[in-house]
Amino acid sequence: MTQPYLFALASQHNRWLSMRQATIATNVANANTPGFKAQEVTPFDAVLDSTRIAMTASNPKHMSIGDIQQKDSDKIQGQDSWEVTHSGNSVNLEQELIKAGEVGREYRLNANVVKTFHRMLLASTKV
Amino acid sequence: MADPLQTILKIGASGLEAQSVRMRVLAENIANANSAGATPGADPYTRKIVTFESEIDDVQSTAGVRVAGIETARSAYRLEHMPGHPAADEKGYVKLPNVDVMVEMADMREANRSYDANLQLIKQARDMINQAIDMLRSS
Repeated sequence: MTQPYLFALASQHNRWLSMRQATIATNVANANTPGFKAQEVTPFDAVLDSTRIAMTASNPKHMSIGDIQQKDSDKIQGQDSWEVTHSGNSVNLEQELIKAGEVGREYRLNANVVKTFHRMLLASTKV
Repeated sequence: MADPLQTILKIGASGLEAQSVRMRVLAENIANANSAGATPGADPYTRKIVTFESEIDDVQSTAGVRVAGIETARSAYRLEHMPGHPAADEKGYVKLPNVDVMVEMADMREANRSYDANLQLIKQARDMINQAIDMLRSS
């Protein structure tokens, strides 16, 4: 039986969700800043595809094949916004709050799944 | 790299701060909507406008907001014919502030809405932090 890769996946997803929430907070804070363009992080499946196991560099001549960490903080500058105001600001508060709710829900789901799995593991240790 | 969830609290706080300053300036405008000068031909109170700019955090590539400055509006003063007023010029006209209370009210509603949105995100971030902590709680 293969060990579920769940804990790593859940924590990675939660880190991505936190980053996304921080981006949403940036958008909301700048909802009235003239010329501010709403931002969005790269989708999680793209982040997941770009993450691979890095080999250890034990010698300075070893080349790195890319940074596996923090690929998730890459921003896509222009998201498709619901409205652009006269001042060039493309933040729509409703859109941002919907996204924030979505992030909160997914985060809770992850936390609960991890908790359940953890309980399952514990159940096997204490009989 | 700092925890993004902690950053949200900071960004949200900067938003709350900026919107409060905006609200304060709006209150000043409304309070002085009828403050004329005291000497003949004197300029009355001038409407103030808050401008915002984003405050970029290079490490995080996230951005809070801060008040860039409080400028005075350049629209024309209202003129009213009140010959007995101390600020009346030789033709009897008094300059009154260029404050339109309706506009200030509309602006106030917008500031209120932005404040609410920032507060909502802070609450959301706090919930997320609590959920992460709750994972440690033995059930």
